[in-house]
Amino acid sequence: MRVQLKDIRKSYGSLEVVKGLNLDIAEGEFLVLLGESGCGKSTALRMIAGLETITQGSLMIGDRDVTEVLPKYRNVAMVFQSYALYPHMTVAENIGYPLKLQKKPKDELKKAVLAAAAKVHLEDYLERMPRQLSGGQRQRVALARAMVRTPSVFLMDEPLSNLDAKLRGVMRAELKRLQAELGVTTVYVTHDQIEAMTLAHRVAVMDAGVLQQVAPPKEIYDNPATRFVARFIGSPAMNIVTGSVADGTVAVRDGSVPLERFAPRERVSFGFRPEDCNLVAPEDGMLKARIFSTEMTGNETIVTCAIGEDHVVVRMDKDFDMEADELVGIDVNPEKARLFDYDSGERVHA
Amino acid sequence: MRDRSLFQRMFEPPSLTEMAPASRLLTYAILILWAIVVLFPLYWVFITSFKLPFQVNDGPDFIPFVDYQPSGHAWRYIFVELGNDTLRPYMNSVIIALTSTVLAVTIGSLAAYALVRIQYNVKIGTVAGFIVLLTATVFAITRFGTPWHITAVIALALFFFFATSFGRHFKRSLGNNDILFWIISNRILPPVVAVLPIYLMFQRVGLLDTHVAMIATYMAVNLPIVVWLMRDFFAGIPIDLEESAEIDGASRIRIFATIVLPLARPGLAATFLLVLILAWNEYLLALFISTADAQTMPLLVAAQNATRGPQWWYMSVLIVIMIAPIILMTILLQKHIARGLMVGAVKG
Ligand SMILES: Nc1ncnc2c1ncn2[C@@H]1O[C@H](COP(=O)(O)OP(=O)(O)O)[C@@H](O)[C@H]1O
Ligand SMILES: [Mg+2]
Repeated sequence: MRVQLKDIRKSYGSLEVVKGLNLDIAEGEFLVLLGESGCGKSTALRMIAGLETITQGSLMIGDRDVTEVLPKYRNVAMVFQSYALYPHMTVAENIGYPLKLQKKPKDELKKAVLAAAAKVHLEDYLERMPRQLSGGQRQRVALARAMVRTPSVFLMDEPLSNLDAKLRGVMRAELKRLQAELGVTTVYVTHDQIEAMTLAHRVAVMDAGVLQQVAPPKEIYDNPATRFVARFIGSPAMNIVTGSVADGTVAVRDGSVPLERFAPRERVSFGFRPEDCNLVAPEDGMLKARIFSTEMTGNETIVTCAIGEDHVVVRMDKDFDMEADELVGIDVNPEKARLFDYDSGERVHA
Repeated sequence: MRDRSLFQRMFEPPSLTEMAPASRLLTYAILILWAIVVLFPLYWVFITSFKLPFQVNDGPDFIPFVDYQPSGHAWRYIFVELGNDTLRPYMNSVIIALTSTVLAVTIGSLAAYALVRIQYNVKIGTVAGFIVLLTATVFAITRFGTPWHITAVIALALFFFFATSFGRHFKRSLGNNDILFWIISNRILPPVVAVLPIYLMFQRVGLLDTHVAMIATYMAVNLPIVVWLMRDFFAGIPIDLEESAEIDGASRIRIFATIVLPLARPGLAATFLLVLILAWNEYLLALFISTADAQTMPLLVAAQNATRGPQWWYMSVLIVIMIAPIILMTILLQKHIARGLMVGAVKG
């Protein structure tokens, strides 16, 4: 179902942790709320679930205003970061608990539990207790419990963050396939930008309780709306160098980059991604730098260069071989460079 | 490290989770010694219940059939000759201890759960207002003879008016920890302090020497212990579980019954047992509140010491039949006191 958040705010006493959240989530959409720890993502999600009261604003699920509706009447399903399995119930009882509350007939309940368990490959574990399962299996039980009924929305609060890196990759793929299969609107909270980029139809980036940008992953990556989003998305992060704009060029310390059609500005944050620049001979480069360190990751080399005090990261191929402290020049692709207002961090357009 | 000297083998623990042979020996020696200290009186009471008076006085005789010839005379006296005089206090004890324990554990658990999950914020002004009005009410009824129901209604009305108007403007307030401390503080004073007021109260309402009086008193006395113990058990249940159940569609009562209670079972069993033992063995309050009809076992045992000097043999029989149900209860509840129920609830 469609979920609409209209200027939703949350305060604990005098502390406002969610500051005017506006989101329109389409039916069947996979929306990922992304932000640093403590930025208010969980609080936002818990307000959709009904676990936290909404201080101001309104929430619609489908055509229904649920701003003040109790959680049990919202028909949402939630996967907790901690999984929250009922430790005294078997896997089957855990998965069937929501249906049992709906007083479903026994055989129907059994069928639904089996179907949900099959979706996450847990058929052989139905009679086990949660304590007899591995972390990944517990995670699957939590997923199956959410999927056993047909909720109007799936809510997931960092469901993969307790798994090891490899398992996380596997579960990410499964989660994406399941969501597409079921077609249930999903709101997914994470601080991991890779998870956000790989899972989402649209990513909503939050910072300190304020929504920064809502857009599809590619758009977020190519056209970040603020300096925060630019720094937050991408690994290694986008390079940001402080400079000024005049006469169709951006002048930074030790060099300048031709950048037409921009109005002159005193101070500006000049950003470019590590893959949108190149290392060249010192005398040819737009910017002059010194190599700070190089890291070979296998398929590429991450080169960190120092321009004065600032660090700039450049992606080079795996055969790159230069030593630390050598002088280099950096060429930036002007088409891919982005400008942000130095004070507000807002994107500056041509 | 393959070659360890004999000294090392004896005194160095082979790993962090094992004991060295020497310390293991010492530990078991102490444990066995202590077990003897604890178990010997039980054994002594048991064999004494089968002794004749002269055997007790000539003693000490340790082993039945070898040192002395056991006799059932004391058991016959208690069960046949005294008959109802034994059975009545026994039934009284069972009824009073069980009922008061069930009530205390039920009410106390609910209170403990509320103290864990709900954040209370009582303004100090409201509390003060309540005390002032209560004092005024008592004063008015006793000094001026105003009808108690009218006075109480007026006082209540005044209290609600005060709490919802001026009371709100007080800044200082009491939280859950203050409430808990108040509840526990009821148990800090020795019961003997409260004995006289309780006696007078039941005398006034004509309930002295009844089951109701005994049950009410025991329940009230044991409630703080239940609240105090159960609060920790409830606090150990992750709130995620309850939130998850809430989203799954469970009502608050349902959550309490299907999630919280099963997970608090070890705590409930342990608390139940402790409170039951306290109620079963209680002597001082029973001495005041019950005289004949509601007399409990501890009083009966003590009474064997009375006119004819200590009747060890009869007393032993009574003690044996008094211990039996508690041991039975402990065995029954033992398997519920298992730990580690919460494993697997949260995290991987
Ligand atoms: N019950 C609460 N009382 C006061 N502050 C809270 C409460 N819950 C969360 N906060 C604060 O709100 C902010 C956002 O929390 P949260 O939504 O959990 O962040 P995250 O984005 O990491 O999920 C944090 O600074 C946290 O300290
Ligand atoms: Mg969180």
